Amino acid sequence: MEELRIYVKLIRISMRSRLQYRADFITGIISVLVLNAVNLGLIGILVHRFTQLHGWTVWDLVFLYSMFVLSHSLYSLLFWHFNMMDTYIAQGTFDQFLIRPISPLIQFLGREIQYIGIGDIVVGVAAFGLAYSNKGLHWQAWQWLFFAVAILSGTVVEMSIRWIIASTAFWLGRSLSLANIMNRFNMLVQQYPIDLFGTWFQIVVTVIPISFLNYYPSLVLLGKTTDGAWLRFLPPIVAAVSISAAALVWRAGIRRYASSGS
Amino acid sequence: MRIFWSFARQAFHNAAIYRFDYWLQLISVFLMMYSVHWIWTSLYSQHPAAFGVNVAQMVTYGILGMALEAIFNPGQGPQMYIATQLKTGGIDTDLAKPLDFHLHMLARNFGEILFRFGTLVLPSALIGGAFLGLQFPASPVAAGLFAVSLLLGYLVLFALNFLLGMLAVVTLDIRSISWAYNSLVRFFSGQMVPLWLFPGFLGALANVLPFRSIYAIPISIYIGKLNGSAALEALIFQSVWVIALFIVGRLAWNGVHTRLVVQGG
Repeated sequence: MEELRIYVKLIRISMRSRLQYRADFITGIISVLVLNAVNLGLIGILVHRFTQLHGWTVWDLVFLYSMFVLSHSLYSLLFWHFNMMDTYIAQGTFDQFLIRPISPLIQFLGREIQYIGIGDIVVGVAAFGLAYSNKGLHWQAWQWLFFAVAILSGTVVEMSIRWIIASTAFWLGRSLSLANIMNRFNMLVQQYPIDLFGTWFQIVVTVIPISFLNYYPSLVLLGKTTDGAWLRFLPPIVAAVSISAAALVWRAGIRRYASSGS
Repeated sequence: MRIFWSFARQAFHNAAIYRFDYWLQLISVFLMMYSVHWIWTSLYSQHPAAFGVNVAQMVTYGILGMALEAIFNPGQGPQMYIATQLKTGGIDTDLAKPLDFHLHMLARNFGEILFRFGTLVLPSALIGGAFLGLQFPASPVAAGLFAVSLLLGYLVLFALNFLLGMLAVVTLDIRSISWAYNSLVRFFSGQMVPLWLFPGFLGALANVLPFRSIYAIPISIYIGKLNGSAALEALIFQSVWVIALFIVGRLAWNGVHTRLVVQGG
């Protein structure tokens, strides 16, 4: 609890320092809007020619996209700087964390906040709203509950994957290229139903469970699968497994890093 | 030309340190080529006649679009170097060099691009040809025009990136602007979706903007969608943009240069 209090305090400081740069804040938000408009525009143009892609209509695809962006928005707001881990190590910033009497993880997480995530939230909510009304969905309570749980689980899943990638910097010195490959997977999973790319791709993004951000929950929520019963319980389980694995890798990494330095 | 080679050599040394990174980059290109292959094959199986070219041409288009990203990624242009140098103050030494700054940036960037072409684009094209259905150019003439068009496309991209670099001198931080810029380039250059599929207004807009010089024109020539006089017109379009953008870049540099000196002094 003490650590949570410190974390909140650190985040507050980061937020204040971020808001010093108001122009950057605004261009950042606009950039996110442009980026998403471009992504959705390209899908729109592709699917404009014919009514569907691999059995998914335009609004199915927008729905798929929006679920990913919503999960991703919370991750990018609070945890995006996992991608910068190798810079923290190279510049010695991480060493400062190690000599203070607070968990280095808390210090690292509290170090930055990415307001870019706010742009993602705007895009995600708008895209979701459009898809929901255009598909004429009328959800019951359990569906809304599942939706909320799936979004939060997705955030945890993406954060865990990035956490593991960040931890590899303890061994490899660099983690940016791995993060870049992950960005590619993200992009594909975000925009297309994963079974479009064949069995192997589907296996990869299920083992690296990035497809739990949007694909599997969408199967349930759009009624695209007959065995949805057990899929309903899967996202939080996957999230729990991912974050545990990530914590273990991180601990091993820190131990190695601290010992090699001395 | 010697300057280009020396920068290419330097890029090689930098890359040789991180060999693991190199393999990851190659894997990442392969991943994208693979997925593009599936997207087009799947779309064609639904509507074979909807796209104006046959499936082999379209798959070639898509795969080439991904393979060329190693040299056509706007995120690797001189603007990033300029922004870093501004932040660290290293720009001083760049200005002190007995080499025109504009030319220096071109040499440095083109050297890296040559290196990336040899180590990333060629291997990806080989893999694409062997496993994913990337075809040879439509004809020997198309191959020749493609090479010219590729070079012109690179120069257009360089000139645009350089202008963004000039903006960095004024605003000091271009990170978030670059995101918007990169995605606009991606959209209007026809990397993912060929421009002839764009509807009405968007198609017309894409046709006048310089971005189609980057992926759309070279690749369309490669697959034979653009040929004969249309191909030549496209090359002229590219050349005009190269000249115009280099002049604008020159003017911008002259304007910004004095400002930079005043700031430093």
